[in-house]
Amino acid sequence: MVKLEYKLIPKIAVVEDVREETPNVRTFYLRVDDLGQEPLPGQFNELYIPGGGEVPISVSDIVEVNGRKLIAHTVRFIGSVTWMFSRLEKGSRIGIRGPYGKGWPIERLRGRDILLVAGGLGLAPLRPVIREVERNRGLYGRLIILYGARTPRDLLYRYEYHRYEDIPNTELLVTVDKATSSWRGHVGVVTKLIPLVELDVENTIALVCGPEIMMRFTVKELKKRGFKDNQIYLSLERRMKCGVGLCGHCQMGPYFVCKHGPVFPYWFIKKYFWVDQI
Amino acid sequence: MSLTGLYYGKPVELVKLFNTLKSRGYKVIGPKVVEGVIRLEELGSYEELASNVSDIQEPGRYRLVDGGKYFRHGPDSPKKILYPPRLTLFRITKDYRIEVPEVEVPKIAFFALKPCDLAAIQVMDRVQGCLGDAYYNLVRRNLVIVVENCVEPGGTCFCATMGTGPIASKGFDVAFTRIRDDLVVFEAGSSLGVELLDELELEPLDEKLYREFIDVVRRAYSKARPIELPDKLPELLELTLDSDMYKEIAEKCLGCANCNMVCPTCFCFDVIDIPYYDGSAERVRVWDGCFSYNYAAVAGGHYRPDLWARYRHWFLHKFSYWVKQFGTYGCVGCGRCITWCPVGIDVRDTLRRAIKEAEKHG
Repeated sequence: MVKLEYKLIPKIAVVEDVREETPNVRTFYLRVDDLGQEPLPGQFNELYIPGGGEVPISVSDIVEVNGRKLIAHTVRFIGSVTWMFSRLEKGSRIGIRGPYGKGWPIERLRGRDILLVAGGLGLAPLRPVIREVERNRGLYGRLIILYGARTPRDLLYRYEYHRYEDIPNTELLVTVDKATSSWRGHVGVVTKLIPLVELDVENTIALVCGPEIMMRFTVKELKKRGFKDNQIYLSLERRMKCGVGLCGHCQMGPYFVCKHGPVFPYWFIKKYFWVDQI
Repeated sequence: MSLTGLYYGKPVELVKLFNTLKSRGYKVIGPKVVEGVIRLEELGSYEELASNVSDIQEPGRYRLVDGGKYFRHGPDSPKKILYPPRLTLFRITKDYRIEVPEVEVPKIAFFALKPCDLAAIQVMDRVQGCLGDAYYNLVRRNLVIVVENCVEPGGTCFCATMGTGPIASKGFDVAFTRIRDDLVVFEAGSSLGVELLDELELEPLDEKLYREFIDVVRRAYSKARPIELPDKLPELLELTLDSDMYKEIAEKCLGCANCNMVCPTCFCFDVIDIPYYDGSAERVRVWDGCFSYNYAAVAGGHYRPDLWARYRHWFLHKFSYWVKQFGTYGCVGCGRCITWCPVGIDVRDTLRRAIKEAEKHG
């Protein structure tokens, strides 16, 4: 008899805090005693609810409370498993494995201007990049954040936008598809913000995350502004069931998005990116 | 000693070989008739090995008939043994304790496996070797493979196209070929194979028998209907990613994923949770296939909602992406996906068409 060593066995984490972001999105701050390596910006974990299943969720922040690091995951209750997250509260336990995937190209961002384009929940995996710039401000050039959500109620992390704007040399532009009567900001899809910002295109790297359709239009807009293929990075969403390139679900062309991505340089996936239902 | 490495003996030597494996403690698995189908099952004795039956295999059609000398592989492939359709990964108790079950790792010998299935094991070796599946690697370590070379490839076979058959060239312990009713040619492919053949009464092949053997091999090759594959097929196929061809071919497709399940190399899996009344749950790995609707469904939508896109993904994975991922084709030409497709979609037709179309662009 042999005990098999599987890569798919989770560790148990404790929910230390829950923060309501929008009516159906919450951020869960998890304490994990031995996750291994600290997640890099853009990486994700597989979160497991016993009896429900596993979901790949990007790390949206790492905070330190009483000397312990908590890993934040922002979850929208939309599928059969994520719906079960709505029952988690402080003290609940949850399975976790990771961190997985290739994150944002932090090294390449050094000394350059950074343009973040986020749609909806796509801000979550980009938030660690904002934190990194905030922490090591001198290492990076300008930071421009373009963010769009469906309605003002769907905007993530509204409580900390002032904190983004307080980072020197940083600009934040927010838009919503459908405004409410009290909304005073931009209205329209996030790609409409791209022509509005001043950019030193040659010295800028764009990081994009959002729904697939939004990323396609974003790439088109960025190309119009003169971005080269190797200046654009995208974080893709697929069904990342196992997270380690075993189960096959997340393939895009020959790539396992969970392992070779989820962050890809645009030139790398260009051939497949525009093909319908690839 | 035989200069060709080939020896011959009477069919009774096969019985001896079988019994040697049994006496060495191997669980011997081979073709067996179960409910009118050739399955890969454990054989209690040599008599349980399928014989006096032949099969008819055509696109979307499988029949087993009594009598006749030759049968081909049925729907089962070695994948069923090495990469079980259901495997419990762990149990989690109500108080969040994780228990990894202990499993028995069987010592397995495949008997009379077809060359295409041997090739499928070699493809799986690359895939699971890269991916590091724990169960696969443990079973594989002790695996003995006795191959029966294919003298009479069937109606949906195209191993000669993929270079995997009908005669096995490497990776087996013993290979045998029934060139006459009363004469079997043997070849050892490993030190264990030499050891096993050593216990049989065999003679080296003389020149006359060697010629006879080669004739049998040649005939078999021509029956395996080779399609010529261009050198740069994986790259060529990517020139026509948005071809309408896939839409036309997949018009018949039902999305049943039969082709995924019978494919000896398809490795995709899902992991499902089985909850119990006591609050515990079991996490089970099960086969999944890219034709199932749920395969590409995500919370925010679906990235391959149309069947033609799923057909294209499957086809391109086998003949293009696989080469980039694992350095080998994902297809061994066994033709199971053709036989067991309920509407008889023939991947050989797709291949011919795709090559023609890609060459127009290339």
